[in-house]
Amino acid sequence: MPIYLYLDNSSVVHRLNPTVKVFALFIMFWSVYWVDHPLALLPLGLLMVAMAQLTGSWPNFYRLRWLFILLIFFTTLAWMVFYRKGPALINTRIIHLSRASLMFGLGRGLKLAELLATSVLFLSTTKVEEFTAGLQRLGVPYRVGFAITLSFRLVPLFIDSALTVVQAQSLRGYEFNRGGPLERVKRYVPVVIPVFMGALRKANNMAMALEARGFGISAVPTSYIDYPIDTRDRVAFAALTGLGVVYFLIYYMGYGAISVN
Amino acid sequence: MHELRLMWRNTRMVVLCAISAALYAAVLVPFKVVPLIPGVTELRPANAIPVVCSFLFGPAAAWGAAIGNMIGDFFGGVGPGDIFGFFANLFYGYIPYKAWSIIARGQSPISRSPMNIAKYIAVCLAASVLCADLVGWGDNLLGFRPFSILGNVIIFNNMLSALFLSPLILIGVYPRVRAGRMLYRDVMPELVERSRARQVTGLAILVVGEVGAWVVGNLVSTGYWIPSFLPASFAQPPYDKSIAVMVSPLIVCAIAGTLMM
Repeated sequence: MPIYLYLDNSSVVHRLNPTVKVFALFIMFWSVYWVDHPLALLPLGLLMVAMAQLTGSWPNFYRLRWLFILLIFFTTLAWMVFYRKGPALINTRIIHLSRASLMFGLGRGLKLAELLATSVLFLSTTKVEEFTAGLQRLGVPYRVGFAITLSFRLVPLFIDSALTVVQAQSLRGYEFNRGGPLERVKRYVPVVIPVFMGALRKANNMAMALEARGFGISAVPTSYIDYPIDTRDRVAFAALTGLGVVYFLIYYMGYGAISVN
Repeated sequence: MHELRLMWRNTRMVVLCAISAALYAAVLVPFKVVPLIPGVTELRPANAIPVVCSFLFGPAAAWGAAIGNMIGDFFGGVGPGDIFGFFANLFYGYIPYKAWSIIARGQSPISRSPMNIAKYIAVCLAASVLCADLVGWGDNLLGFRPFSILGNVIIFNNMLSALFLSPLILIGVYPRVRAGRMLYRDVMPELVERSRARQVTGLAILVVGEVGAWVVGNLVSTGYWIPSFLPASFAQPPYDKSIAVMVSPLIVCAIAGTLMM
């Protein structure tokens, strides 16, 4: 199973400075936050579609298609339970279906789907080291950034060693799929223990190797990879700021809200 | 909570943090495809890992839980609510060992006396409730989902893993880690505990704050109780403003208690 969403393409978005991409993530969250009406959210959705085409991210969207559908459906349903406003078409103790509750729920569902789409686009175009470089540029300490990068790198190793243990135990006749759901999960506990101990055996050596290479001597270490900011990044930054301002103005001028009647 | 800052100076703790995060994410990611409530949360047996790591690696496990959850979110998409998820998991990894050190004072977490089992349940519940409060409060504050959904599902999900899986892993791992002198007290002998009176007061404030936030969050987000002193405009779904006014002080109180411990 592939763990990461990164797609090795060479689109304009892929080549943007990591700090600009983290800023883009923030601006999309900001823009989506201010409006509730599905129609006001539609332009952002179309922007996502255009970006998915530009960056060649459709395989990731296809991979997560059920998550998008379920997210919109269940969020809409959940708000029909809690948003009990407007003239009701159906009104029971549990569900209050009105135009207002439907629009509100759909709006929330679309908001969450657009946030998910933003993150899929971000992850499809950004490597782990670019992400941590972006975070460090925004003030996250080097050691924290290093721990994040190291964790990302260790995940596939641990999953691989867990699969090896599962295969070895299966060969010895251990049945992982016997019993109910809780019993099945419990049967995986003997897999976790060797993976855990194997990881700890590495910890000491890893710490010594890091210190031997001068880890932690300087608070601002030098880096082999450099991410300069060029014209493309400045244009993207200006466009994103404009988008954020426009969506705030839509909210400020009273558009983008849902009318109860 | 000073150890959350101090641990970054210790290279072995940085490595243990990355290992905790990677182990958490390695179990979290495969279960992303098994939703408990679609679009809200998935089955999370991985929630056993932060509790286990907390007893072993202390502050490194707290940061590990936060980073591991972030990696898990990266697999299924990130959103502004994940910022609350980051801090919620930080506390979920921090409270078990810290509260245990206050109420069990040096006893082993794998001891099976009835009193120790009760203490173990209490520390897991304290960690789970604050984690659920933070995510539920944050998501309702942003108007995405009502507190009463996430605030309860997360407690259930966390307690299920912490009560049924964590003890099984701890029994297998704790004696080996202790024998290998890899417990956080062995790795960070420079750690100085605060005065007992201050720690007990902090724990009491934490419990009052988090239980209060959970009760008030549930009542306000379902519309069962809106205090009369709030303006009428606050008394309507998604109750984000009411949650901000009523639950935020209790969350601040719970965090202040945690800081004192």
